[in-house]
Amino acid sequence: MTTQEDPLSLSIPDDWRQEFAAAARRPLATRVRYAFIHTYRPVLDDAPYRAFATLDEYRAWCETYLPSWLGYGRV
Amino acid sequence: MGAFDYAQATDIRDALARHGVKYMFIGKSGAVLLGFPDTTQDADLFVDRSAENGRALANALKELGFELTDEQRVDLEAGKDVVQLKNGPFDLDVIYAPDGIEHFAVAWERHVDVQGFPVCHIDDIIASKEAANRVRDRESLPRLRAFRDWLRGQQSRGIDPHESR
Repeated sequence: MTTQEDPLSLSIPDDWRQEFAAAARRPLATRVRYAFIHTYRPVLDDAPYRAFATLDEYRAWCETYLPSWLGYGRV
Repeated sequence: MGAFDYAQATDIRDALARHGVKYMFIGKSGAVLLGFPDTTQDADLFVDRSAENGRALANALKELGFELTDEQRVDLEAGKDVVQLKNGPFDLDVIYAPDGIEHFAVAWERHVDVQGFPVCHIDDIIASKEAANRVRDRESLPRLRAFRDWLRGQQSRGIDPHESR
């Protein structure tokens, strides 16, 4: 940390700050390669297509049909 | 289906540009393009809602290898709020009305261009997750807010963290 740090960033944990700086040094293609993963998500990945007329309809569907551990339910 | 990769990202960027689709990356995929180091599974596109734009999007997706039925094309043209596509070379979520953002035009005014990828401003990505308020959003928000503060710190020192490389 240097005295030139923006006050906003002083509250950022050091490990996060280091990760942000390291990511910024990587080319975009590498960042994308590291970021996008694929794991099977039950229900969500079981249909090739879904459309919801409204966001409320989508949220209600998520809360009704998706396992809660996927994290799509509202707090 | 494997993970979304950089070649696919450039394919979609180029196809949507060729068809004149007005859109931005949003959600964690948008944050990743801005430099946020984290993992995600979805590519999320915030698309400007108009029949013409929806038609252009459907044409671009078809070109990319998505198998769209006539009914699905109609959904895209009509601008249904959320469309989840898993019938192509990669998974894609098309969102016409994300939480926390009133109008596409307002978000577009402050969007960031990352090597030709139009990306929502980090403030809009955070606002959207705050408004959605899902468990998964609550988990990622502290780190996203820290990333926003770090970006601001870089910019205040004259460093552009989105600079092309």
